[in-house]
Amino acid sequence: MTLETLETLETMMDAMFSQLVMLGGSGMLLTGLIVLWRKHVPAYISAYRWQAWLLAAVTATVGYFGGDWRLYVVAGVLVALKGIAIPALLRAMQLRFGKQPQITPYVNTETSLLVAGLLVLFAYVLARPWVAVTDLPTREGLPLAMALLFVSLFIIVSRRKAITQVIGFLMLENAIALLAAVGTYGVPLLVEVGVFLDALMGFLVMQIFAYQIHDTFDTIDVEQLTRLRH
Amino acid sequence: MTRYLVLAGQTLVAVALAPALAGFIRWLKARLQGRRGAPPWQPYFDVRKLFGKEAVVSHTASWIFKATPFLVFGTTVVVASLVPVVVAQVSPFVVGDLFAAVYLLLLGTFFLALAGLDTGSPFGGMGASREMTVVALTEPTVALSIVALALNAGSTSFSQIVAHTLTQPSAALGPGHLLAFAALFIVTLAETGRLPVDNPSTHLELTMIHEAMVLEYSGPYLALIEWGAALKLLVFLTLAANLFMPWGIALSLAPMALLIGLVSVIAKLGVLAAAIAVLETRVAKLRLFRVPELLSVSFVLALLAVMSTFLAR
Repeated sequence: MTLETLETLETMMDAMFSQLVMLGGSGMLLTGLIVLWRKHVPAYISAYRWQAWLLAAVTATVGYFGGDWRLYVVAGVLVALKGIAIPALLRAMQLRFGKQPQITPYVNTETSLLVAGLLVLFAYVLARPWVAVTDLPTREGLPLAMALLFVSLFIIVSRRKAITQVIGFLMLENAIALLAAVGTYGVPLLVEVGVFLDALMGFLVMQIFAYQIHDTFDTIDVEQLTRLRH
Repeated sequence: MTRYLVLAGQTLVAVALAPALAGFIRWLKARLQGRRGAPPWQPYFDVRKLFGKEAVVSHTASWIFKATPFLVFGTTVVVASLVPVVVAQVSPFVVGDLFAAVYLLLLGTFFLALAGLDTGSPFGGMGASREMTVVALTEPTVALSIVALALNAGSTSFSQIVAHTLTQPSAALGPGHLLAFAALFIVTLAETGRLPVDNPSTHLELTMIHEAMVLEYSGPYLALIEWGAALKLLVFLTLAANLFMPWGIALSLAPMALLIGLVSVIAKLGVLAAAIAVLETRVAKLRLFRVPELLSVSFVLALLAVMSTFLAR
């Protein structure tokens, strides 16, 4: 092979890499938007599961094109922890709370979708200088990760139920992981493992909190927490 | 000369295929629901029967009521002649672009709503008001997804967009393209009166939109309206198929290329029609007050499509 063909091959690989990362990032952002649209907790859980699988796919893609085997390990742990274990725990939590009426957020669906659109726009504008200075093939994913970050923050503040706030937090954590994967090709494995443990611990603590709220107030509507009960 | 003949032939193919497409969706839906269903070519018999019947027109109706079926059918045929169904030839003369096509279709919808109001029947008025609500909500999405497509290709002409996607196949997998496709698909469902926005197979007064507007029509008028509605569905699905997945479309007037173009467009339409049939079997009609939510989802999708093509380059 001549040098030119090698070079064109490389640019083609880069284009495909950037395309795949962008596709995965957009998919993750879409799962965030699904949460804003749907009204029942099971739909939220499956949106979170999809998001985790997509995050694992993006991580594995970055590992393949970046030539870093450790990212495969991270992707595997992601699937096991966020793709299987946490959704199962969430479902157990939801079963324990019993059938909940559909979720009424503080902001209605149309407005929250439009707000999410504006947040994505904001993320794009914010990430512009950052995208301009890097020449990573994954730079197109940066605004998407920022957008997911803002959208999940919005999910946390605009939903009433403790369980949906937990899902919003988990999505926020996913957004940070996506940012790490596309921005720096993944952080060292040790840090990654620490983050996983933190996320799991945070989730378990929040689960205990949600159970306590449920036992004390007979509801997981955080609106009720503003009044004194005893 | 050949060019005009081919273009006219392409329009004829679209007009002739339209009832079969509507019938195919109906047949597949029936099979999926465990019914035998009428054969896919049943709409042809229906149209022929309706053309042979007498038209009954209300005394209070004005000329708008009689002109509307011709307007609806006429504008849809004009749009069908603009859309690249079998062949997309890049020519210096752009006769009609995406904007022209979408807004010509809207002209037909506008007159249909007028005709619904014209007879003074309560159902017609209800249907017209609902249709206008839905159309007003889909409008921003249509405009935005057109912008997303045009930004990618640098032109709003159909053939330019097709040619651009054919030369850059990787762009077709880009999020801008996929999101715009999703947005346009939801809009297609809303504009052609399919589930979950409108139920095409019901005559229940409280839920129908399109059927309520055309309730007063009979005979040849009804035949034209039904045929026009089927053609509109075909045009929207062809747009979705050929602008987003143009592979197989003929770029020259050679007979072989045209044949491949015809077969590929039928295959693509079949896949999209099957998708609609499966979707209509799986989902229930949305409450009218939840329709704006679905349409704002499609709006946000289109907005994201524009953003990812416009801001991320």
